[in-house]
Amino acid sequence: MNEIGQYIPFLIPLAIAQVVLMVVAIVHIVRHRHYRFGSMALWIVVAVVFGFIGPVVYFVFGRDRDE
Amino acid sequence: MRGYAAFLGKELIEAVRTYKLFLMLVIFGVFGMSSPLLAKLTPQMIASVVSPELAATIPAPSAVDAWTQFYKNVGQLGLVILIIMFSGVLANELSKGTLVNVVTKGLSRGAVILAKLTSMVAIWTGSLVLAAGLTWVYTQYLFGSNALPHLVVSVVLLWVFGVFLLSLLVCAATLGSNNWVALLITVAVVAVGLVAGIIPAAYHYNPLSLASQNMALITGTVTLGDLWPAIGITLGLIVVLVAAAIGIFRRRVL
Amino acid sequence: MSVLEIDHVDKAFGSHQVLNKMTMDVPEHCVFGFVGQNGAGKTTTMKIALGLLKADGGVVRVCGEQVTYGNSRTNRHVGYLPDVPEFYGYMRPMEYLRLCGQVTGLSSGQIATRGGELLEMVGLAGVKRRIGGFSRGMKQRLGIAQALLNQPELVICDEPTSALDPIGRKEVLDILASLKDRTTVVFSTHVLSDVERICDQVAILHGGRIALAGTIAEIKAQHRHHGFVVECANPADADRLAGAAELKSMGINTTVEGATLTVMIAQHAGGDGAPRADGAAGLVAPSVTGLAGVAPAAPSPQFSQSAGSAPSTWSGSDQAGGQLLLGALTRLDITPVRFEQMEPTLESLFAEVVK
Repeated sequence: MNEIGQYIPFLIPLAIAQVVLMVVAIVHIVRHRHYRFGSMALWIVVAVVFGFIGPVVYFVFGRDRDE
Repeated sequence: MRGYAAFLGKELIEAVRTYKLFLMLVIFGVFGMSSPLLAKLTPQMIASVVSPELAATIPAPSAVDAWTQFYKNVGQLGLVILIIMFSGVLANELSKGTLVNVVTKGLSRGAVILAKLTSMVAIWTGSLVLAAGLTWVYTQYLFGSNALPHLVVSVVLLWVFGVFLLSLLVCAATLGSNNWVALLITVAVVAVGLVAGIIPAAYHYNPLSLASQNMALITGTVTLGDLWPAIGITLGLIVVLVAAAIGIFRRRVL
Repeated sequence: MSVLEIDHVDKAFGSHQVLNKMTMDVPEHCVFGFVGQNGAGKTTTMKIALGLLKADGGVVRVCGEQVTYGNSRTNRHVGYLPDVPEFYGYMRPMEYLRLCGQVTGLSSGQIATRGGELLEMVGLAGVKRRIGGFSRGMKQRLGIAQALLNQPELVICDEPTSALDPIGRKEVLDILASLKDRTTVVFSTHVLSDVERICDQVAILHGGRIALAGTIAEIKAQHRHHGFVVECANPADADRLAGAAELKSMGINTTVEGATLTVMIAQHAGGDGAPRADGAAGLVAPSVTGLAGVAPAAPSPQFSQSAGSAPSTWSGSDQAGGQLLLGALTRLDITPVRFEQMEPTLESLFAEVVK
């Protein structure tokens, strides 16, 4: 059985989820520029480097409540 | 009723525009997908990280392992994320004073609490259904079967426990104006439940069983009959907590 | 009929008595300025009137109905604009008005027409942005729109201008002033020029009670200081004028501040007619008999102090004092840069009350 082929139905949606999260987070970071703490550079690094967790951490803790 | 519907609409707009709904669905979707995958890959991971000999001794993964992963992810980390995500449910409004306006316009405080709870429960329900659905689909795909007893019931129990946590969170949130207060009280209550778990027979009555005995229910080491007291207590506590939240919130200075 | 009646209301926070048997009446269709220092209890009073705070004693009525703490029924008559109105930043202006309208029980048709009109009125029509990106002035104007949505009989504004820049302040004041014929506006402030600009009625809160209340004209008339302000070209002239014999002989109080001379003819002429003990004794009740014919330039106008004659009008005393002063100016050959009758300002009244 083709080992990789078996996992394609997982890998594609997971990759899409991750990319979507990252893109949405980066767009938000760049467009708003006001954060509860940290700078734009910091949050972009967090969103990109910490694949799945980074964007979530940004939206829960970094996003300015007013926006 | 009118105020409740209007405020529920506002809560749902808020969930969408503050990315809460989006994040919950993505996170729970990923949990749902990755649970069967993790179960399937566990032998390979042990083989490469520890030793192929050890991997050979563990039995081939099955649907049971997929659902075990599901309850580990969703039933533990998922609940933590749920609580953190909504920890500011009242604190954000109280610290900013956004409720003053709508309450002086005649919105009842009970409606505020109920609308917030409804919106949180709706998001929790959607996220849980998505996660469980994806786990079911991918388990079917990887292991060819989901033929396990009490699969739906065990998910429903986890759902009830989530609703209990959200009621607890709202009730705790009416006591302080800082989201850490709500979070701390909720965590403290869960910790008490965990400590109570040391007593072997306590699981019959412990609300935490609804999130911890799911696999035992599926594998048959615990019967639904064993959990009825815990289910009853949890449902009763939900009613008490919601009533208390409304009662406390009515007396609160906004 | 009074739209808002506050009747002997007490409120203490801990041991600090903020309101002490405070009583205040707001008549219909006026712009009512509610003045006090920071911390005097203006916001507390307003929150009690809205049922957001519980009074320790006393009664508050809105349109004749008693206010209760919590979900007060009286709030259907009231629109409230908090000092810094906070909205949901992720909503658009019309969405917020829709939420408010639904909560108050307006039909969706009413919300659409009224909401549109109000946004037009406050200059936010066609603004599709989310409220989170609004300036303070825009938020304040949206706050006015939401306060008027249910066509309230009373609009309570808590320091609506204090957080605004001059342009935002002017916009908000103009809007508030324009509301007079459709509702009653109570607005608290510590900026007296705002009160003078748009208010008909004013009440000054001090020491937990209303120290002074009435229409601005009434208050000013009651607390009128009779005197003149003369600004000379230089301080030396001012000193010479202050030392003028004719002023001295009448016992008129003068104070010099740089080149400016303040001449007090008689202090206070309230409706009660009682001059203040600390006032200048000078011309408390001078008769103007015989003055009519005196030419303004006459070096030494004669003041007959026939106390027996009918009580003179205050304008008479002002006139007499003014001519005396003009005489002194002519004699000393001083040309004033500014010469004007003293007008009580709200500032001076406020300072007096607070002192």
